[in-house]
Amino acid sequence: MKEFLLDAPVTEGFFAYLQNFGSVESLPSVGDGFHKFEKQDWFSIKGFSGDTTVEVRFKKEVMDLTADFVFSLFSSYREGKLDISVLKRREEAIDERVRKRLYGA
Amino acid sequence: MAIDQKPLIYLNNAATSWPKPPGVLEAIKQSILLPAFGSGRTTGTQGEDYATQARERLSAFLGSESPENIAFTHSATDSLNILITGFLHREKGECHVLTTALDHNSVFRPLNEYAQQHRIRLDTIPFSGCHVLPVSVEAAIRPDTKLMVMTHGSNVLGSVQDITTIGDILHDHGIYFIVDGAQTAGHIPLSLRDLPVDAYVFTGHKGLLGVAGTGGFYIRDPGTVEPVRFGGTGTDSFSLLHPRGMPERFEIGTQNYPGLAALAAGVEFIRQNEMLSIAEKMEKQTAFLVSELKNEENIAVYNEHPDLPIIAFNIRGLQNDDVGFMLARGYNIVTRTGLHCAPLVHKAIDRGAGCVRISHSWHTTDKECRIAADAIREIARNADPSVGKA
Repeated sequence: MKEFLLDAPVTEGFFAYLQNFGSVESLPSVGDGFHKFEKQDWFSIKGFSGDTTVEVRFKKEVMDLTADFVFSLFSSYREGKLDISVLKRREEAIDERVRKRLYGA
Repeated sequence: MAIDQKPLIYLNNAATSWPKPPGVLEAIKQSILLPAFGSGRTTGTQGEDYATQARERLSAFLGSESPENIAFTHSATDSLNILITGFLHREKGECHVLTTALDHNSVFRPLNEYAQQHRIRLDTIPFSGCHVLPVSVEAAIRPDTKLMVMTHGSNVLGSVQDITTIGDILHDHGIYFIVDGAQTAGHIPLSLRDLPVDAYVFTGHKGLLGVAGTGGFYIRDPGTVEPVRFGGTGTDSFSLLHPRGMPERFEIGTQNYPGLAALAAGVEFIRQNEMLSIAEKMEKQTAFLVSELKNEENIAVYNEHPDLPIIAFNIRGLQNDDVGFMLARGYNIVTRTGLHCAPLVHKAIDRGAGCVRISHSWHTTDKECRIAADAIREIARNADPSVGKA
């Protein structure tokens, strides 16, 4: 588990963006809004709207393959480069390696 | 969310108690400010011998026959390893050992290591409701059962076990009885000399209000367990073999003086403030918290009548670690989530998913209990119970 300190508060929009890459569960009425992004076999990201830190839990066995992708998600959203096609291609390539390592296929 | 504006509410005392009484902090400070005295390793006699002081206070507090029946270790887990290993050293060949599904990995892991090595055959007695029934213990006894190791108080369900009846049954069959008191020492009055237990394990950093890195055990007859660690004791130094007397039999190397000073001060705090009045306050808070949570449709409370200040629950539709995260980050309320090192309890109560545990202390206020209950209910009311429902 790692805490990531961001240079701007987390927004609902960020988690909506993450939905392109996995599932998001939100409880908007808990505090200022709780959000959890889950990318199965990769990692999960949890945080509250307005908070500048999020908690990332990696699947240990493939963390070396997936950790950089977390940074890419943060930076692509922050920089407003929301053409996700490049990230989707990276995601596909990494996913193949993740599945191969975890399931041998 | 400006969580830093919310005061910290610490409900994880079953893991490590916090805050410590002022006297404990002062004792640690003094133990470091002044040189260490006593214990055969100095000519200084001007100050406290922390090990002796802690031993005397613990002995009186736990109702042991004498301070010589108390040994200090690094933790409850360390104590259990010493006792289990030292007891089995005396057994020739494989024997049968009992434990319970309520127990902690500090019991399971050493026992299962020995089972894997074919040193023992291990049976784990299930619990019914929140208790291990004496009749189940009796039924599990075999002709070659030599040892039973069990928890006194469940660290998940908060239920105190009937070690008097169970101990009597075991002793009728000549079975050695080691009790893990990690969750009960400091919470319930004990007179170990009057209980049918052969050894009782405690830790310093929970109910006894000391710090992590301290623990120990009471042993009725030290000769029943072989020492398993050897080295300097500050006594009998001409002997190249380890001394067999107490407490050196089980204590090696230089003691954790600040830790023992803290332990002595923690015990003194409980004594001065009367354990029963502290327990009475906590019982009321436990009852309040349970009633607040159990009436919420979305919350499953696993023991509605805990004997200890421990409440285990889940919110339907949410993972326990998400609830813990929300409480911590959204409300500044510290709990513990997951399996609590008690895997078989969770297998029985929540299919191994784990749960949220709240555990209050002498220091927890009624207002903090109210805030915590409101926060948990708020989360529960916003959860979708259909998510993840089997």
